[in-house]
Amino acid sequence: MLEINRIRKTFNAGTANEVRSLQGVTLSIDEGSFVVVIGTNGSGKSTLLNAVAGTFYLDEGSIDIAGTAVTRWPEHQRARYIGRVFQNPFSGTAPTLSIAENLALASRRGQSRGLGLALGSGTRARMIEAVQGLGMGLESRLDNAIGSLSGGQRQALTLLMATWLKPKLLLLDEHTAALDPRSADQVVRITDRIIARDGLTAMMVTHSMQQAITYGDRLVMMHRGEVIHDVSGPDKRRLCVNDLLARFEEVRRADLLDPSAAALLRARYI
Amino acid sequence: MSLLLGALIIGLILALLSLGVFISFRIFHFPDMTAEGSVTLGAAVAAALLMTGHGPLFATSAAALAGGVAGMLTGILHTRFRINGLLAGIIIMTALYSVNLHVMGRSNVPLMEVSTFASWSAGIAGYFGGGTLLLFNRPASVEDLTILGITVTLVIAVVLALFAFFRTHLGLAMRATGDNDQMVRALGASDSIMLTAGLALSNALVATAGALLAQYQGFADVQMGIGMLVWGLASVIIGEALVGTSRFGYVLAGAVFGSVLFRLLVAVALRWGLDPNDLKLITAVFVFAALVLPGSFANLRRRAQQRATGGGRA
Repeated sequence: MLEINRIRKTFNAGTANEVRSLQGVTLSIDEGSFVVVIGTNGSGKSTLLNAVAGTFYLDEGSIDIAGTAVTRWPEHQRARYIGRVFQNPFSGTAPTLSIAENLALASRRGQSRGLGLALGSGTRARMIEAVQGLGMGLESRLDNAIGSLSGGQRQALTLLMATWLKPKLLLLDEHTAALDPRSADQVVRITDRIIARDGLTAMMVTHSMQQAITYGDRLVMMHRGEVIHDVSGPDKRRLCVNDLLARFEEVRRADLLDPSAAALLRARYI
Repeated sequence: MSLLLGALIIGLILALLSLGVFISFRIFHFPDMTAEGSVTLGAAVAAALLMTGHGPLFATSAAALAGGVAGMLTGILHTRFRINGLLAGIIIMTALYSVNLHVMGRSNVPLMEVSTFASWSAGIAGYFGGGTLLLFNRPASVEDLTILGITVTLVIAVVLALFAFFRTHLGLAMRATGDNDQMVRALGASDSIMLTAGLALSNALVATAGALLAQYQGFADVQMGIGMLVWGLASVIIGEALVGTSRFGYVLAGAVFGSVLFRLLVAVALRWGLDPNDLKLITAVFVFAALVLPGSFANLRRRAQQRATGGGRA
C-alpha cells in the first residue's frame, strides 16, 4: 500500500542549523497494516509522516501510495489518498465553523468542490449517526462552532473527518500527546475501533510506550533519521514495555559516544 | 430629505465595498490593500466604457471583472511568489494607480452627459410620474427614491447570493481556509487557490462599489480610492457591534447595516459643520479606537476584579 524508498531530507542544508531529519529511510507497508512508529525526540518520526503527507519535498528517494508515485505531488493533492490527524487539536478542524460544516468539508476530501449545498438534507442523518458513534454526546451540538469543544472532542472529530471517506492511508501524528490521560485513552480507543472496522492501513506516531505495545500489528523504531528496529507479527505481540525501554537505553548509551567513535568501535569489535 | 436619501444611497453602494473588505479581512484574515486601487479601477473602467457609449449594466459588470482580476493578481503574488500579503496588496494598488490613469485618460472624468445607472434609474422614475412626493411631511424626489429602491434590491441580492455561496462546498472550503489553512490542505483543497479566488471575489465587489459610486456621483476620479479600505473596515466593525453575534448570515448583513449607519453618521456630522477635510482622520481614529478599546476595557475590568479580590484578601 505504501512504499517508502530510500528517502532523505535535510533541513537548512549548508547552514549552522542543518538538521539531517531523514537519512535513507526505506519502509514498505502492507494493506490493512497498523504500524506504530516510536523514537526519541528529533529521531525523524514526525518528519517521516510529513514526508508521506507531502508537507515538504524530498531531497532524494521516492514514495508510492497504492501503486501511484506521489513523490512530486503537493500536499493537497495527496489528500485524495491520505487522512490525517495532527498532534495539535487545533490543527485538524476549522474553529469558527460548526461540527456539521467541518464534517461536510471532510465529506469532499480529495474531490472537486462545486456549488452544491454543503449541508444537504441527506447528509445530516449520517452525521448524527457517525457522531453518536464517538459516544461523546456531540450529536446534539452539530451546529455549535468546533472552537467551543475540548481538545479530546476535537481530536475525535478530526479522526472522524479523516476517515469519513475511507482513506488508503491514515496518518496519526502523536494525536493523543496534547490530551489529558483520560481523553488520550478515549481517542486512541476510538482510533483502534475505526481502523479495525474499516480495515484501514495506518501509521501512528506515539510517545506512549503503553500505546506502542497495545496497538498495531507492527512497530517501527526510529533514531537519527533511520529505522533501527522493525518488529511485526508474533514478535510485536510478545513485545512488552520493558523491551522498548531497554531499546531506548541502548540508543541512549550509543549516543554518549560521538558518531565517528561509535562507528570506529563498531568496526573493531563487532 | 434629499440629504438623507443621498446618504442612504451612498451607504448602500459602499455596503458592497464593506462586503468585499469583510471577505478579505474577516473570512481570510488577509489585510488586502488592493481594495484602495480596485475602487478606483471599478470607477475608471465603468467611466471609460460609459464614455464610449456602452450601457451602465455592461460597464458595471466589466468593472466587477476588472476588480476580480486585480484581486487575483494580489492572490498570485502572495501564494505563488510568497510575497507578504500586505506588501502584495500595496504593489498591486500602486500599479493600479497608473492603470487607472491610462484607463480614464486623465485624472477626472465627468459622467453628467452620458447614460449611467443613475440616469437609467431616473428613466424608470419617469414611469412613476417623476417630480416629488411627501415622505414624513418632507418633499422627496421620486428619482432619488427610485435609485434607492434599485440599490436596496441590488444589495439584498448580493447579500443573499454571498450567503448562499458560502454555504456551498466551495464556499465552505473558502471559509475554512481563513480559519485553518493546514486543515484545508489535509482535506484536499488548495488553500492557495481558495485565497486567490476569495480575493478576486472581494475585489470584484469593491470595484462594483466604485463603478456605482462614480455613476451616482457623476464623475470618476483617480483619487477616489484613498481611505476606502479603512472606511470599509469601519463599516464592518460597526456592523459586528450592531448584530452582536458571530453567526455568518448576521455578520454578512451587519456589514451592510454598518456601512449605511456609518454613512448616515458622517452625513449628520457634516451637516453640523464638520470640516470634510477631517473626515479621513476621524475615520482612522474611529477604527483605531474600535480595534483597541474592547481589549482595553477587558484589561481594565480584569484589573478592577483583581483589585477587588486582592483587597478582599488584604
